[in-house]
Amino acid sequence: MLRVHSPIGNIFHDEEFANMKEGTYEVLKASRVELEKRILRRRTEQGTDIGLSLNNGIKLHHGDVIRSEEHIVVIKQLPDKVITVKMKNKEKKDVGILLGHIIGNRHRPISIHNDEVSFPVLVDSELEVFSKLFSEIMDSIYIKIEEKIFVPHSGADVHEH
Amino acid sequence: MIHIPRIGIGGPVGSGKSMLIERLVPILAEKGYSVSIISNDVISKEDADRMRTNLATNGKLLPENLVIGLATGGCPHTAIREDPSMNLSVIEEIETNHPNLDLIIIESGGDNITTTFSPILADYFIYIIDVAGGDKYPRKGGLGIESCDLLVINKIDLAHMVGADLEIMKEDAVKIRKQKPFEFVNCKTDEGIVRVVQHIIHDVLLDSIPKSLVSQRV
Repeated sequence: MLRVHSPIGNIFHDEEFANMKEGTYEVLKASRVELEKRILRRRTEQGTDIGLSLNNGIKLHHGDVIRSEEHIVVIKQLPDKVITVKMKNKEKKDVGILLGHIIGNRHRPISIHNDEVSFPVLVDSELEVFSKLFSEIMDSIYIKIEEKIFVPHSGADVHEH
Repeated sequence: MIHIPRIGIGGPVGSGKSMLIERLVPILAEKGYSVSIISNDVISKEDADRMRTNLATNGKLLPENLVIGLATGGCPHTAIREDPSMNLSVIEEIETNHPNLDLIIIESGGDNITTTFSPILADYFIYIIDVAGGDKYPRKGGLGIESCDLLVINKIDLAHMVGADLEIMKEDAVKIRKQKPFEFVNCKTDEGIVRVVQHIIHDVLLDSIPKSLVSQRV
C-alpha cells in the first residue's frame, strides 16, 4: 500500500508539475466528498493500493500529485451535478437575498464566478425541489444544470444535507 | 497533536448503533486494538452507561473513563455535522491524554435518513438501518444510506417476521450504493460483524498493527 501523508504538488498550480497536464499518468479518482476526508483507502484504475492518512491541515484537491519511489499518481476529482444561477438584473437585491436564503437553507457549499452562483445537487430529484423553491423568483433568474468539477468558495464550504 | 482515526456511526432510533459498537469492540480488542467510545444522545446518557457497564466494567475491554456520554441537547445531526465542537473538544482531550489509542468510535443520537458526519469529526461513516423498517429502506435512499462509507443492515433474523425480502434489499443496496460496500448483520448473534471489523481495519486503520503491539516490539 502506498501510504500518503501529503501531496508533493499540483499539476494546475505548480510549474514543476505543469507538464503533467498533457501527459499520461496514473490517476486516483475521488468524489468531492471523499476529498474532504483525512483517511481514505482506494485503488487506482491500474490497481495501486493507496492509503491516505493526511497530516494536520492537509486536504487533497483536484490535480494534486502524490508519489512513492515507484509511483506517481494524480488526484482526479469526479464531476458533480451542479446548478448554476444568475440574476437577470443584479441590482434587484430582494432576488439576491431570496436566492441566498433558499440555497443557505439547504446547507449547500457554493462557488461564485462572473456573477453566477453554483452549488451541487445530491440526487436528481433535487432538481424538481429547487425548481419549486425558486418558483417565486424564476422570472428573475437564469438557471443551468451541468456536470462539472465543483470547487467551493473557501468561505462557503459547508457540509450539505 | 496526534490524530487518532475516528469512525462515526449513525442511523435511526433503535437500528442498533450501540449494539453494533458492543459487538465491534470485543473483536477489535481481541486483535489488540485500543478503542474509546463517545456516545451522543439528545438528553439521556443511557446508551453510554450501558456500553460502559458491558464493555468496560464487566468486559474489561477498555477503561471506564474511555466510554463517554454526551447529552447534546439538540438535533443529533447538529452535534456531528453543523457544529461538532462538543465532540471535537472531547476528542482533543482523548488525543492528549491517551495518544496510544488506535480508534475512536463516535455514536450519533438516533436520527433521520439525512444523517451524515462532518469530515472534520469522523474519518469514516457507518450508517446502520434494520430490516424492520421494511425492504424498501435501501431503495428509498437518503443521504445517510447513499453517502456513508459502509452501510450496515441489521436484524436480518427478523426479516421473515416483518415480510422483508433480503434479496430485494441486497439488489437495491447494490444499485443505490454503486461501488460502495454494505453488509448484512445480526448484532444479536454476531453474524456479519467480523466483516464490518475487516472494513474498519482495511479502510480506517489502513491495516496498521495495533499500537500496543508496536510498543511491545520496540
